[in-house]
Formats: sequence, C-alpha cells, structure tokens
Amino acid sequence: MNTTRVALGVLAGAYLAGVWLDGVGSTLPSHLLPRVPNYFLQVAALFPRAATMSIDYRAEAWVCADKKWEELDTRPYFPLDPDDKENRFQRVMHFFRQDETTMHALDAYLVERHASGKGLDGIDSVKAIGGVRLLSLRIPLPNPGEALQRNRRLPLSAYPDDERHVFYHTPRSKAAERCGGASEGSE
Amino acid sequence: MFRGISDWLDEPLPVLRLEIVRIAAPLAILGFMAGRLAHADEWIGDAGFRVPDLGGDWRQPLYVPALPSAIAWAVAAAMIASGLACSLGYKTRRSALVFASTLAFVAVSDRLAAFTVSKMSPTVVLAIAAGPAGSRLSVDAWRWARRGEERPPAMRPMGSMRFLQLLPVTIYSASGIAKARGDWLSTPLVLWSHLHDSYQTALSFALASSLPGWSWTLMQGLVLAFEMLAPLWFGLSRTRPYAFVFGLGMHAMIGLCFGPVLWFALLMMTLLVGGYLPERFLEPVDRLADRLERR
Repeated sequence: MNTTRVALGVLAGAYLAGVWLDGVGSTLPSHLLPRVPNYFLQVAALFPRAATMSIDYRAEAWVCADKKWEELDTRPYFPLDPDDKENRFQRVMHFFRQDETTMHALDAYLVERHASGKGLDGIDSVKAIGGVRLLSLRIPLPNPGEALQRNRRLPLSAYPDDERHVFYHTPRSKAAERCGGASEGSE
Repeated sequence: MFRGISDWLDEPLPVLRLEIVRIAAPLAILGFMAGRLAHADEWIGDAGFRVPDLGGDWRQPLYVPALPSAIAWAVAAAMIASGLACSLGYKTRRSALVFASTLAFVAVSDRLAAFTVSKMSPTVVLAIAAGPAGSRLSVDAWRWARRGEERPPAMRPMGSMRFLQLLPVTIYSASGIAKARGDWLSTPLVLWSHLHDSYQTALSFALASSLPGWSWTLMQGLVLAFEMLAPLWFGLSRTRPYAFVFGLGMHAMIGLCFGPVLWFALLMMTLLVGGYLPERFLEPVDRLADRLERR
C-alpha cells in the first residue's frame, strides 16, 4: 500500500465518521475540527422533528409620505428560489433573525434597493421608505383529517395578528433621519 | 478485521460504477445550482445581500467577501464548464478538481443558499477525481481508443468507489438515528407534518389530502427502519437488492413531494445506482462502452 493511498483512506474514513457523528448529534466533530471542515460534515440530520407550523418570513416598510407600514415584497431583491423557503431572504431570517448586525445590514439593503427603483416590491418607488419591520408568519398546520388548502402566498393583511411575530424594526431615530423627520408612528 | 477491510477494498469492481456517478452526479449538482448560477452576481457577487462579517459567529463558518460581479460570473462559468466536462469525461480528473473547487467555494461563500447538496457535492466530485473516472464511456476513453492506446481494465480495485458506496449508507444510518432521537418514534404524523409549507408540490398536496393518516405512519416507520438499519440492509448480499429498490423509491417520492429537494434526491439516487445496481444490469452498459471504445 503506498502512502497516498493510505492517506486518502484515512481521510475518507475520517470524513464518513465525521458525517455519522455529526448526524447522530455528537459534538465531537465540532470540538475537534475547525469550523469550515465541520460545516462540510453537516449533511445527515434531515427532518428529525415534526413540523408544528408553517413558517414564512415577510417584511413591511415605513412609507414616509403616508406615515404607515405597508408590505414590502422582498422577492425582487432576493431572486434565487423566490417562492420557497430556500429563498435567501427566508434563509437570512431563519439563521440571523436574532443577530442585530445582520438585521441592520438587511434593513439598509432593503431601503437602498427600494430607493434604487429596480424592483416591483409592492410600494411605489417614488415614495421613500424610512425603514423596515421584519417578521415571521407562524401559520398553524391543519388538523389530520381536515380539508387541506394548497400552500400559497397571501398578502400579509390576510393573516391575523396572532400569527405574526416581529423580530426587527428600524430604530425610530433612523427612520426619522431617512424620512427627513417624518417618522412619527413608526415604533 | 483490518485484513477483511483490506480485502474488501482490494476486490475488483466494474469501473462503470464510478462512471455512472461521474456522468450523473455533476448533472444533478448543476441542476441544483442552476437557479443560483442564473443569478451569480446576486449569489456570490456584490449585487445582492451579504451577511456582514460576524467575526466567528457559529452560523458563519467563514466570512468570504462578495466578489465583483464580473468575477462572480467567471466562477459560475467555470463551474458549468468543469461540471459538464467532468460529466462528459473530458480531461476528467482535471475538470473534476476544478468543479470540486468551485463547489467548495460557493458553499462557504454563501451560507444562505447552501444546503445538503452544496456541502456534500465537493466530496463526491473529489472522490470521482481520486478514482479512475473517465476511463470508460467518456471523451477521454474515445480519444485514447483513437490513438490506439491500450484500454484500461474494466474491473479494478477502487477505494473511491468503496467510499461512494459507504457515503449514502452512512448518511442513512446517521439520519435514522437522528430521527429516532427526534420525533419519529413518538409522533405518528411527522412525515405528514412536513407536507404543508412552501416545499409542497401538486403530488404531495394530493397525497396529503387523500391518503389516510395510518398510511403516513406506516411510511414513517418504513423509512425509519430503512435508514437506521441501512448498514445491515446494504451490508448483507441477500437484502441489498431490496434496500437498493427501497432507497430509489424513497428518493423518488422525496423528489416528487418536496419541490426543490428534487436535486438532492437525484444525487442520492445516482450514488445508489452507481454503488449498488446489481451487476447483471451493468452488462448492457458494458457492451455499449465496449462498442464505443472499439470505434
């Protein structure tokens, strides 16, 4: 057996052991390995838990002229897989909704994109927006045996308040600054 | 035990097994990447949203700054060209290494659009590069034949193919144990509960609407038993063909019922076919390869 073959064999064995250990919930790979190799091992633990609700992330924008929140369609600014949960906006909210730095960056990105007028986001591009409110919709699953409805995207206004959960909104001072001092009412 | 492992690794296998993976895996991976490649400047370039550098946050394995758009498009072009070249078997090892590099780069560059296929595909393609891929049913084999060079052996020991055989079994086993430790033994409608979100397809909606609850519990039990005991099912020659057929059926259903998971399903089916297709079904492919190599 030559050295290369042995080295490749050891590497392959370590990779398979790492995939297995990570999948079964062991923290050994994450303790032993740097973050990048460990990240490539995270492939096996698929759908271990039951879904308790269907989750969709949405955005609203504070429209300076109208002094109110309106739904902002993020899909033109996150064009990959626009209609399912693999969309990058859905993913950034899934992973980073509790991370202030990322939420501020997302806020700035959405405001800048709306101002650029490059996407049909549901709000007239000539109307400036002062900030955003980022939220999840937690839609209950039907009960087994009930008549089902096909999954489809409805406007935010179609969902009751108790299904909405706001994670982030632009600070009032920032929205006022962007609106030129006209943000009264934006939390 | 070491002797047994060594004998198993040294046992000659049809090179066609690796060629099946070489031909189909890059196509499944490129299918998964297609939507991302169409928006390369938004995906890995500076035209889209980037998560800022979070300085070691666990959700960000590595911060990679956005590429200038022109370079993002060049990476996308390199991925497509090398993936297709690998699938066709043109300068196979080199194209596989380039393909694997682009796949690894995009997986760490954008955590947001990275899924299981993103993370496992560099390894699958590296295994292709490490073996004798491209020696049959390939542009390389055709060129060697035209130059009158000696044909490489059709059967040979292939550690890389053994690795690709073990990979799906390892994933099933870990996934089965994760499911058992999760809700799959305590909640009867786990499968059914995943059919209502944006992954839903026309078929999954129709099945969720029409099949009785007990049938979902039955399928859940079958999947759990298949995955948890996969090393046994695939290890025993008597159960291997049944495990192969069950695995293909399970992935076909996953692909048809969970929209974007289709490409993951196709990649896993490729590994199953390459790794476990009974040899009698390889014979017609072997004859085809012979005919092409004689021209």
